Amino acid sequence: MEPQYTIGVFKEEEAMLSAFRKMKEQEIEIEDVFTPYPIHEVLENHGRKSRITVVGWFYGFFASLGVLAFLIYTAVIDWPLNYGGKPSNAFPSFLVITIILTIFSITILSLATFSWRANLWPSLEKPIYHEEATDDKFVILIHREKSDAGKAESLMKECGAIEVIEK
Amino acid sequence: MYNTEVRGPLILGNKSLSQITADITSPLYARPKFWWIVGLGISSIMMLLGFWSIYVTISQGIGTWGVNNTVGWGWAIINFVWWIGIGHAGTAFSIFLLILRQEWRSSINRAAEAMTVVAVGCAAIFPALHMGRIWNAFFILPYPNTRGPLWVNYNSPLFWDFIAITAYLLISASFWYLGMVPDFATIRDNAKSKIKKAAYGFFAMGWRGSVGEWKRYEGLSYILGGIAAVLVVSVHSIVSTDFAVSVEPGWHTTIFPPYFVVGAIFSGFAMVMTLMIILRKIYKFEEYVTDAHLDKVAKILVFVSLIMGTAYLTEIFTAWYSGNEYEIFTFFHNRITGEFTKQFWAMFIFNAIVPQLMWFKKIRSNLVVVFIISILINIGMWFERFNIVVTSLSKDYLPSAWATYSPTFVEVAMYLGTLGIFIFGVLLFFKYIPMIAISEVKAVNKHQRKPKQNAPTSDEGKS
Repeated sequence: MEPQYTIGVFKEEEAMLSAFRKMKEQEIEIEDVFTPYPIHEVLENHGRKSRITVVGWFYGFFASLGVLAFLIYTAVIDWPLNYGGKPSNAFPSFLVITIILTIFSITILSLATFSWRANLWPSLEKPIYHEEATDDKFVILIHREKSDAGKAESLMKECGAIEVIEK
Repeated sequence: MYNTEVRGPLILGNKSLSQITADITSPLYARPKFWWIVGLGISSIMMLLGFWSIYVTISQGIGTWGVNNTVGWGWAIINFVWWIGIGHAGTAFSIFLLILRQEWRSSINRAAEAMTVVAVGCAAIFPALHMGRIWNAFFILPYPNTRGPLWVNYNSPLFWDFIAITAYLLISASFWYLGMVPDFATIRDNAKSKIKKAAYGFFAMGWRGSVGEWKRYEGLSYILGGIAAVLVVSVHSIVSTDFAVSVEPGWHTTIFPPYFVVGAIFSGFAMVMTLMIILRKIYKFEEYVTDAHLDKVAKILVFVSLIMGTAYLTEIFTAWYSGNEYEIFTFFHNRITGEFTKQFWAMFIFNAIVPQLMWFKKIRSNLVVVFIISILINIGMWFERFNIVVTSLSKDYLPSAWATYSPTFVEVAMYLGTLGIFIFGVLLFFKYIPMIAISEVKAVNKHQRKPKQNAPTSDEGKS
């Protein structure tokens, strides 16, 4: 089978970053970058967007309304109980549960969103392009059909890639 | 931002990335040591004792405890609050320090969070059993039932407590797990044995460290960090309302929520200190958890101890200033003097006075002394909860209703059982989970290598 990807493996973060910058300059499309820890320059400039923080805000907004509506429905509308003559719509004390359950909903929902969007799921078999990318190597992945693999390869070598693999 | 040139490096020894991986994961591949197996054995025996007492409590009822009509809350609630307090360490550590961008947290947060999860699990046992008929425990959930439907009372702090503790346990466990995902992937790619590869691969959920993963991961950690910071404060405030809402002398005060939150952070940090001193010694992590790290924890303890002392004095002052005879009796004749003098002064001395010794650098850098102080704080915090629970209840308004309280063996056994669960859990954590967040430490390490090559300052190590 024809190799699909060109994989540049770097030992130093700086070398990978200089290759990354040059590829950006020459508009070679980078499929992905694999690093053992987050490198903000790559995260900012790669072009992939994450809206998880915005989504999280909406989860919180709707969860808080939902919880409050549930409390008011059950305690005031469905079966109002008399606790020592206090009003059944004891709104301020509903806030405690609303806050806690909102936090809880945000956590669970944004974790689920994270797992879905970042495609992380137990025992999912995803191709691992380079085994040491989680240890001490920095890996740039180029899709051969989308960009000029020859140019990318020479660029990566020039910047100090310790190996360039075709896969 | 942390300035390495001024404050010295956070991680000593000029580690390379692969060295960091190798150092932190080595306990996972090593054969279990003798002390580890012995520890597991002892904690299992303690757990068995705990299970026995749980069995007795469920089959015979709360009558097997020393609690009575007057002192309705005994060791169970003391230990519940104590464990929850310890459980605040992880979240306080990882979350407050995460949103304050304190990079030194990264060597300690994993262990602190592990402690949190186990400690909150231990805490949850007590109120669950204290409810009495545990087989009816699901009545506390608001679900459409055949009894009306009869919903629960949302104005009750005890219900808030149930919601808060459950949410806290699940949220801190997910936060802990999220942080471990990149590290599990590291182990999956590094491990030699097939079983390890498969097991850690399962939990790594196909993590590869790609741009999309890291970007969302960072976004998510800040969301969770930001909202869980609110949770940390609210959980222990809610625990305090269990007390503060009842009209009991010594309980019915507005200082309770902040007082409890600070107390929780205090006992949590003390437990972190205890655990980290042991952990770095056993696993030779002195280059990751440096003396400077422990020094910072010690400074936090000194500061929080001052707040504790202020809170104690404020309570006493308010009791006197209010002129309320019941308050005055509780504080001046049942705590400072009277039947529970020993417990009161144990609390005051261990929490507010002994930690002040750590103002001195000499004492702060002597880890044996710091270790002893951290244990004393944990004991002191236990006595604080004893003071709150027992002294107020035993003598309140009507002298004819006064009663005293001492625990039965079943209650003590249950406490020992939870200690067993805690030790057991921590030992499993030592063996099967990377004790320091590998990816975070790598990022911190790179950060400090950049400006200039730093000279290792490991000659300070005196432990």
